[in-house]
Amino acid sequence: MSTKKVLFSLLLIGVLAFSIVASGCISGGGSTSTSSQSPTTKTTTKTETKIQEQVTLKVIGPWSGKELDAFMKVIKAFEAQHPNIKVEYKTYRAEDLATILPLQFESKDTPADVIFMWGWFIKKMGEKGHLMTFNDVINPDEYIPGVLNAVTANGKIYGAPFTAAAKPGFWYRKSFFKKYGLKPPQTWDEFVALLAKIKKIPGIKAPIVSGDSVGWPLSDVTEHFILTFGGAKMQLGLINGSIRFEDPQVKAIFADRLVPLLKAGYFSEPVEWTSAVTSWWKGDYALYFMGTWITGMVDDPNDLGLISLPGCKAMVLAPDYLMVPKYTAHPKEAMELAKFLATEGQRVHVGTNSGKLATWKKVTIDDYWAPMRDVAKIVSNVEAVPDLDDSVGGEWQKTFWDQLKLLWVQPDRLNDVLKTLDDKFPKK
Amino acid sequence: MRRPRSLIPLFFLLPALILLVPFVIYPVLKTIYLSFFLEGKFVGLANYKHVLLSSDIINLDRFPTKSPPWGSLINNVIFIAIHLPSTIFLGLGLALLLKREEVKGSSLIKSIIFLGMVIPMIVGGLITRFLFEKGAGVVPSILGALGIKSLDITWTAFPQTALFAVILGSIWIWTGFSMLMYSAGLASIPRDYYEAALIDGASRFQIFRNVTWPLLKPITIVVVAMTLLWDLKIFDVVYVATGGGPGGASMVLALQMWDYFARELNYNYAAVVAVLLTTLTLIPAMWLIRRRE
Repeated sequence: MSTKKVLFSLLLIGVLAFSIVASGCISGGGSTSTSSQSPTTKTTTKTETKIQEQVTLKVIGPWSGKELDAFMKVIKAFEAQHPNIKVEYKTYRAEDLATILPLQFESKDTPADVIFMWGWFIKKMGEKGHLMTFNDVINPDEYIPGVLNAVTANGKIYGAPFTAAAKPGFWYRKSFFKKYGLKPPQTWDEFVALLAKIKKIPGIKAPIVSGDSVGWPLSDVTEHFILTFGGAKMQLGLINGSIRFEDPQVKAIFADRLVPLLKAGYFSEPVEWTSAVTSWWKGDYALYFMGTWITGMVDDPNDLGLISLPGCKAMVLAPDYLMVPKYTAHPKEAMELAKFLATEGQRVHVGTNSGKLATWKKVTIDDYWAPMRDVAKIVSNVEAVPDLDDSVGGEWQKTFWDQLKLLWVQPDRLNDVLKTLDDKFPKK
Repeated sequence: MRRPRSLIPLFFLLPALILLVPFVIYPVLKTIYLSFFLEGKFVGLANYKHVLLSSDIINLDRFPTKSPPWGSLINNVIFIAIHLPSTIFLGLGLALLLKREEVKGSSLIKSIIFLGMVIPMIVGGLITRFLFEKGAGVVPSILGALGIKSLDITWTAFPQTALFAVILGSIWIWTGFSMLMYSAGLASIPRDYYEAALIDGASRFQIFRNVTWPLLKPITIVVVAMTLLWDLKIFDVVYVATGGGPGGASMVLALQMWDYFARELNYNYAAVVAVLLTTLTLIPAMWLIRRRE
């Protein structure tokens, strides 16, 4: 009996101690506001005003290395215009953010004030009420047509576009082509003949190097084939689910164009995409399908040549989108930065070696970094369409990447691959 | 007369319970609860039916006659079937080999082998990926040099080899644990037993079979249970080395759960896999606890 009493007393003491500590914490928090009339708080208020003036914004984006250097020039330009705002940058892959952000947002928190992310993801989070809207911040008429569709739902613009990468075709070294007497093809047959000729060059591992990562480099190549032989309509139909992958016309593109090249060994096995840049540049491979950002990754961008598949009249334009979560501590400053990135920041960015293109129409060709001016002109002459897997998103995006990896090494399994892509496509 | 129950043990358990309830027990119960719902509606066992009948989990159309993907549950079983005996026998073999005093630098060798356990699993996954990469990796290079051209490939890129690359990488990572446990077990066996056996004229194999192996049984139980748990929960190495691909050929349950959760944002299906995984891991865990009691 006495033991129980002791135990009860100890518990009571524990609860009391906890209450005291807890109340101390609570009153401690409140004391700042209540003591505002005391002389000491006058100093505190002054300091607070000072702190409010100096705001530090956190930005999360996907860039590192040279790409980050180019982006930081934009940030520097913003900071120069806004001396009271300091910007801290953190690198996160979109794949990792996709796992972090939903939980953070559900708990009404955010890891950064401005976050770069996939368009479909921004739209989804916006619809869930986690994001600020850009309707009163940017003017949709100032952007290239359709670029805001990916981040707009029910008339509300949840994301702002930054610069975009185009995925225009196969890059080659002019010096390599000159050395072996190769010429860019004008027809499909010439393209196939070129690959056959390259394959015979001693020391060449494969005519085209296949970039490997989570899978997106392979999806970019595939989309280029779809756009060339199926056109923008087919790509848009695949995005909105009105056309299936097992559709005979889509299947024909894979079966008649892509698969024969894979079977002939014209594509390499998937190689990690950044080390593929090095191997391709030193001559292990002749062609590399990559986005325009590759111009900033090579030693001599003036030695770069570009081959789009003959007949291609559309190409993927993949903008980087940014969002401002509602849970930012500095909504005004965050929106200020977002607006800058979506407008004048683009002018700064395309002037660097980022290899990116502006989505804001007020940027002119003269604003571009010299090696990108020709690319910008080429892109302006074709129809720009959204990226297929980035637009569909979710689990299907990973399935698309993964199935293409399978197709690359086992082209005979085309039927299985197309069926899986249809089976896993999000149901409406 | 019945002895009155004391509340004192409960009192000492209180700090642990305060932490366990919100951080373990509540999430477990919430996960089980979520597994019976879909889009906010109670659906009974429909989620379980959907997940278990999905070819992502068990693909009987392809298993065992056709090449992978065979489904994440089957991949986990294959993982256990290869990884478990390999790490046990490798660990035991290395512990026996390095126990002998005449092996110079045995501590250093043990440390090197144990390195796999020390490095973060993500790094282990990356090393695995590059170990099996054509051109850069040791494994395809050696096999290529031996004339086995069919295996001089990037193992993680092909459905026939991706799972085996991950399993072999995991054997390298986990053998250090097994070796260390057996080394500790061997050190605890009194030398007198061996001396007595030698005096009785026992051969080396007889000594191993009748002295060493029976006395290492408690260690083996721990190694088997821990390895089983590790195999069932395997995630990081697969995530980094192959991402479960190509075409789902190296997908495992934990990664499947992650995909449902993080890619599809379908917390209900993720909860179903989590419940299945927990149930499966509880079996060896309970077995271990009972054997140790």
